[in-house]
Amino acid sequence: MKQIIKRTKAYYCVECGKCSGSCPVARVNEGFSPRVIVERALSGMKGEIEGDRELWTCLTCEACTTKCPSTVKFSEFIRGMRSSAFNSGYTSRCSQGGLLHSIQRVQSYRDLVQNRLQWISDDLKTSTEGEVLYFTGCLPYFENLFSGFVNPLEIARSTVKILNKAGISPVVSPNERCCGHDLLWTGNVETFQKLARLNVEMIKESGASRIVTSCPECLRTLKLDYADFLEGTDIEIVHISEFISSLIKNNDIKLNRAGIMTYQDPCRLGRHMGIYDAPREVIKSMGELVEMNKNREESSCCGVSAWATCEGNSKQMQIERLIEAKSTGADMLVTSCPKCLIHLRCAVHNQIPVEKEKVDIPVVDLTVAACRALAGE
Amino acid sequence: MPHAGRWQVNEMKSVLVIGGGIAGIQSSLDLANRGYHIYLVEREPSIGGHMALLDKTFPTNDCSMCILAPKMNECNAHPNIDILSYSEVMDLSGNAGDFTARVQRKARYINEEKCTGCGDCTARCPSKVPNEYNGNLDKRKSIFLPYPQAVPRVMTIDREHCIYLTKGKCGNCKKVCNAGAVDYEQKDTFVDLNVAAVIVATGFDMFDPTHMQEYGYGKYANVITAMEYERMICASGPTGGHLETAPDKEHPGKIAFIQCVGSRDLQHNPYCCSVCCMHAIKESILAREHYEDIKPYIFYTDLRAVGKGFEEYAVRGEKEYGIKYIRGRPGQIIEDASTKKLTVWYDDTVNRKVKGLEVDMAVLCTSLIPAKGSDKLAAILDIELDEYGLYKSRDELTAPLDTRRPGVFIAGYCQSPKDIPESVAQGSGAAARATEVAGGAYI
Repeated sequence: MKQIIKRTKAYYCVECGKCSGSCPVARVNEGFSPRVIVERALSGMKGEIEGDRELWTCLTCEACTTKCPSTVKFSEFIRGMRSSAFNSGYTSRCSQGGLLHSIQRVQSYRDLVQNRLQWISDDLKTSTEGEVLYFTGCLPYFENLFSGFVNPLEIARSTVKILNKAGISPVVSPNERCCGHDLLWTGNVETFQKLARLNVEMIKESGASRIVTSCPECLRTLKLDYADFLEGTDIEIVHISEFISSLIKNNDIKLNRAGIMTYQDPCRLGRHMGIYDAPREVIKSMGELVEMNKNREESSCCGVSAWATCEGNSKQMQIERLIEAKSTGADMLVTSCPKCLIHLRCAVHNQIPVEKEKVDIPVVDLTVAACRALAGE
Repeated sequence: MPHAGRWQVNEMKSVLVIGGGIAGIQSSLDLANRGYHIYLVEREPSIGGHMALLDKTFPTNDCSMCILAPKMNECNAHPNIDILSYSEVMDLSGNAGDFTARVQRKARYINEEKCTGCGDCTARCPSKVPNEYNGNLDKRKSIFLPYPQAVPRVMTIDREHCIYLTKGKCGNCKKVCNAGAVDYEQKDTFVDLNVAAVIVATGFDMFDPTHMQEYGYGKYANVITAMEYERMICASGPTGGHLETAPDKEHPGKIAFIQCVGSRDLQHNPYCCSVCCMHAIKESILAREHYEDIKPYIFYTDLRAVGKGFEEYAVRGEKEYGIKYIRGRPGQIIEDASTKKLTVWYDDTVNRKVKGLEVDMAVLCTSLIPAKGSDKLAAILDIELDEYGLYKSRDELTAPLDTRRPGVFIAGYCQSPKDIPESVAQGSGAAARATEVAGGAYI
C-alpha cells in the first residue's frame, strides 16, 4: 500500500475534500467518500480498505482526479487498492453475477477459438492484413447479452461503413480479445496482462500502423495501459470520433442534418483522455448541439464502470442524467461509448422511478448517428 | 548611539519607484520626506493600485479609500515626487548610485498640464466599454477617470475604443474641453531618468477562474469573484453598494464564499494567497452590515487568521455576524437554470458528510498572482523570479527586500504574498534600503 500511496501521490492529500465534493457517487451514497478512503490509507488501514465494499463503488470517473488541488491520482489509487484487495481474495460485486468478467477471462485462453466476425455483412469491406485495424472490443459479446434494448453491433457495422467510405478496408481480426479494461479496473492484473499480450501479438501480425476503436475504454487501455506491451512499435491509436471529425474537416465525408443533439461525455474519452472536442465537431456537422449543464470536465458518469457494481446509486445517477438530457429539449442523447449507451438504456428498460416523459429521450451512439447521416447513402 | 536631529541628503538624489500601489506610495512618501526626489512610475492612469478598489480593510473595517486617498494626494502634492502615470519602465542601465531608466510615457491624448479633470468630456463621450475598475460590472467611457479619487486627476483616452482614434469620427471631447487639453496627435514618448536606486512594487493581478469549470464562473450569473464583490458592496461601486443577484436584482439570502480558488492548488498556484480567509470574513461581515437577513457561509481549507486581531475578527464574524464556517473545498457548483440559484456541492470534512447547499450567490476568493508583465520587467531590471513568478529576494531571511542586482529593491505583494500593513511595512523598509545607495545620513 505504501507503494500505491507513493505512486499516486496520495501523501500530498491535505484532506480539503474537493474530491468528495466533486464525486457523483458520494451525492447518492452516504457511505462513499474518496477523501475518507485516502485518509484511511494514510493511516495505514490496509485491511479496512480491502474489505470495504465501497472500494468497488468508485466509478473511477476521475471527476475528483482532474481537479485535485494536490494532484493525487485517485482513480489510479483505487485501481492499485483493488488489485491489492483482489490478491487478498476480495472481489467486486459484479453486475450480471460476474458473467461479463467470466467472458473476459475466458478470452485470455491462448487456444480459444472465437466466432466473433459473423456480423460482417457482405456490404462491408474488411481485410486480414493492412495499415488500419479496427479494434471492435466487446461489441459481439454485448450483442448477445443486451440486444433486448440496444444494438451493439450496429456500432461496429457503422464504424466499418465509415472507414470504407474513407477508402479504408480495416483489419478486423477473429483473434482479437477483450482489451482487459474491466479486469484491470477490478484488480485482476494477471489476466489483464495475458489479454494484453495476446492482443499485441494479433496487432503486430496484422501489420497495422493505426488502430481505430469505437469504445473509449479500449482507447484508454490500448493507448495508456498497453504502453509497456507496445513498446518499440509506432502505432497510432485513435477513437472513431477523432477519425470522423478529421474526415469532416478534410471534406472527405459530408453528413446530413439529423436534428438537435445533446452529448454525454464518456469518462474514459473525456476526463481520462482529454477528448472533448472531436465528438462535438461531429455532432455540429450533422445537427445542433445543446449542452447539458454538466458537460466536458464536469460531465456526469453513466453510473457503472467495469461492470464492478450496478446498484441503486447507478440507477439514480442514470435517471438524473437522462432527466438532464431530456430537459435540454434535444431530440436525442448522443454518446460515444457503447457502455454509456447500454447503461443509460438499461436504466429505462424496466421499471422507472419517475414519469416516463421525463426520461423519454433516445440514446444513440455517435458513430451510428454519423453513419445514418452519411450523405448519399 | 540614538539618532538625533534630522536626515540630511548632501546632494539631492533621485529614486525610481515602479508601481503606485500602497507599497510604492509608502516608499515614495518616506523617501520624499527625507529629501530624495522620486519618480513614481505607474502603468495605469491612476496610482492607488488594488487598495483603491477595496471597500473596507480587515480587521478593522476601515474604509480603504479613506486611508489611501490622502496618501495618493500627498504623493501628488509633494514637491519631491513626480508621478509618471500611464507609463512603463523599458530599460535600466548603469549601477547602484547611478542608474539610467528609460520610461515609456504612453500617450493618453490629454495634456496633463492643462486637464482639470472636470469631466465635461466624459459626459459627452458616446463610447461605452466594460469598466475594468468596477470588475466589468458596469460601463465606463472611452475618455475617463478610473474613479473619482484618481491621482493624477487627469483624463485618459482609451485608444482601443475611442471612436475618433479608431475611426476618425466624433471628436466630442475635444469640442467640449474648455481647457484645450485633448490632443489626438499625442504620441508615446520616452524619457531617460537618472536615479540612484530603484524600488519595484508592482503588486499582483487577480487569478481568472473561468477555466475552473467546476465553479461555473462566466457561465452562471450569480458566481462572482471576490474583487467583483468588493466593487459591488462599495458605495461608490457599480451598484451603489447593493448586492444584486440574477434574475431580479434581489439581494442574496445565502452567500457562499469559496476559499483558495486557484491557491494552494498544485494545478494552479501552489502558494497560499495569504489574504482570502480574512477578506472573506470581512466581506461576510459587510454583507451582514448591509442586510441583516443574509447568511454567509465560508468554505475554507484551513482558516488562516495569523495577524494581529485576525483570530478575534474571525470569532466575531461567527458570533456576532452569524458566519458559518465549513471546512471543505467545494467540488462543483450547479445552477438551476430557471431560478438562477446555485447548489454548492461540498464535503463537510469535519462532520464527514457530502452535502449540497443552495445559495443565491457564490463568491470565488481567487488567488493573487504575479502582476502581468512581471517576467518582462524582471528581464529589464535583471532581477530574478522565483518559482511562483514573484520577484526573488537576494536572501529570503536576511535580505528580503534586496534583489540580486545591487540598488534594485522589492516591496509588497510582488515580493511575496502579504496583506496591506505588511506591504506598507515593506514599502518603508525598501525606502530605508534605498537610502543606503542614494546616500545621506542623520546629522
